[in-house]
Amino acid sequence: MPAERRPSILGDLREIASEVISSRDLIHQLALRDIRVRYKQAVFGFGWAVLVPAAVVCAGLVVRFALAASSGRRFVSSELASMAIKSVPWGFFVGSISGATASLVSNMTLVTKVYFPREVLPLSAVLGQTFDTLIGGVLVMLLLPFIGVTPSIQLLWVPVLLSIIWLFVLATGLFLACANVFFRDVKYLVQVFLMFGIFVTPVILDASAYGHRGSQWMMLNPLAPPLEGLRLAIVEHRSLLVEAVAKTPATNPFVFWHPWFLAYSAAWAVGGQMLSAIIFHRSERRFAEIV
Amino acid sequence: MTTPRLTFDRVWKKFHRGAIHDSLRDLIPDLARRAFGRAPANAELQAGDFWAVRNLSFEVGPGQTLGIIGPNGSGKSTTLKILTRIMAPTRGHASVTGRLGALIEVSAGFHGDLTGRENVFLQGAIMGMRTSDIVQRFDQIVDFSGIADAIDTPVKRYSSGMSARLGFSIAAHLEPDVLIIDEVLAVGDLQFQERAFGRLHALAKSGIPVVLVSHQLDRVAQLCSEAILLNSGEAVCRGTADDAISAYVRQHEVTRTVASSGIVTFDSVRVIEGEAVQSGRRCAVLITGTVSEALTSNIDPLLVRVRSLRTGSEVYVTRSKRLGFEVKPGPLAVRVELQANLPPGSYMIEVAARDMPGERDVANGPAAVFQVVTANEFLGTVQLNGTMTAADGNGR
Repeated sequence: MPAERRPSILGDLREIASEVISSRDLIHQLALRDIRVRYKQAVFGFGWAVLVPAAVVCAGLVVRFALAASSGRRFVSSELASMAIKSVPWGFFVGSISGATASLVSNMTLVTKVYFPREVLPLSAVLGQTFDTLIGGVLVMLLLPFIGVTPSIQLLWVPVLLSIIWLFVLATGLFLACANVFFRDVKYLVQVFLMFGIFVTPVILDASAYGHRGSQWMMLNPLAPPLEGLRLAIVEHRSLLVEAVAKTPATNPFVFWHPWFLAYSAAWAVGGQMLSAIIFHRSERRFAEIV
Repeated sequence: MTTPRLTFDRVWKKFHRGAIHDSLRDLIPDLARRAFGRAPANAELQAGDFWAVRNLSFEVGPGQTLGIIGPNGSGKSTTLKILTRIMAPTRGHASVTGRLGALIEVSAGFHGDLTGRENVFLQGAIMGMRTSDIVQRFDQIVDFSGIADAIDTPVKRYSSGMSARLGFSIAAHLEPDVLIIDEVLAVGDLQFQERAFGRLHALAKSGIPVVLVSHQLDRVAQLCSEAILLNSGEAVCRGTADDAISAYVRQHEVTRTVASSGIVTFDSVRVIEGEAVQSGRRCAVLITGTVSEALTSNIDPLLVRVRSLRTGSEVYVTRSKRLGFEVKPGPLAVRVELQANLPPGSYMIEVAARDMPGERDVANGPAAVFQVVTANEFLGTVQLNGTMTAADGNGR
């Protein structure tokens, strides 16, 4: 009998990469399926792509108007810009996580009947959502000049930040998809979490609005630094390699942005990606029996 | 390049009856046991487990076509799922070298909201085709399915036959190195079935290794060079397709047997003078046994069935009362003569005693297999002993 293959982390990662590369046509077709199905027979069409971000911005406007009114200062348009910028990746996070979590179970017939690398299901769910997000992103880009945001060299940070978000979302999606195969509770937990996650993520309010301690706690959320980074780079034209200090009349000045925050998020994204890919890969062959 | 090959090396597969974890109360102690490494070895049977496949080995190389037959729940589908890598074996090793084409659930990936055209690309990709290959073969696929008119209609508007035909057509254009086929031969109408079977026949005869699982025994006999009969996950018979099918048909009969009532006991059934019969000639069978005094007029003590091993179906049934032969209580020794107006192939003779009003067998006997051979090959289902001679205008 051939010797049992000893699982090694490096070997597994190499296997995953080669499986994903060799099934790129399948990934493409599955993502295309998700996109087509979403827009077929949908009157609102591509409007759905910006629904979540638009709703977040509307809710944010209400909150910010209230805050501005109670503290007696004027609402400024840069606040709208920062919400618009952060709402698009947040919509991506919500859509991708819920899509990816359900991806294995909702394709149960495929999983139990046909062989293909299972990674492609959550991956194509995230890719389908990426397409929606691109539409929203382009719209926001077109909108920004009208609310007083000018381009700067710091825009170069945007691809870096988006990659961190994308990788982190994929890692979380892979892990949750896998967990949902074994325990159906996961789907409901995820729904609850996605509903309330916006309160522990600086989407509507900026991290600095939570004060010194609050902003530090907030930055423990791996999604917070890239979102906050997007605002700092696009709206405030700051380099992310420099600390940012908040000066408010109510408190002493405090550092709410530190380059290490970004490294922390990047570590989550890359490390989480490797970890969840390995967990997924090693439990993959039991999916057909459990699902 | 290595030769394409399908290998099963001492494969065992364990399944669990019932839910895997009934509740968190069971799950948590189980996880804890595992974490501390005190769980019993994974490859052993635990309460509620059973072996779906036991110690199964085979190897299929180029030019070989292996049929796997057996009753429902005998492990056929599990075997295929292990071969196609959907499941991992509990013990042993399964491997496939070469590009695998699996004709299983050929329309599993279809999405109702997408058109036929979009689904061809999706399903093709799920089966492992490159998009460029699908583009190349798209017209052939649509032609073969015969639904060119509906190709831009959403699949949810298709009849079940139409989507099955489209699915089969995609699968039939895979051009694999090794092929696995599961019960997809019964797709669509008769005409399409013939076309589908022709395509499979061509694929199987092209010399690639093929594994076929089917309940259509005649298809197995036609396509397969050898076959395995599975029962409760074990290979109970392996050999030529004819051997395995005959074992299957017999086993099938035996399971239907009522406990012998003691009215008739059969000792032997034997084909006299060899087991190869020329098609169209007569052959003789000797049946021996004992008939008890308890014989009533309701029971015909000697019923003879001839069954085609290719299809498993009965080709001829007769009984003593029909033939005007009276069986008396006491020792039984009967010579049955039959004219083998049959196409070449393997046939089985079974004997039984039958309760006629009750329409059930009250005793079964052993069976004998005989081969029908012919020097003058013909097509069809009956030997008509055709001859051809020169004749004049009046037909003489």
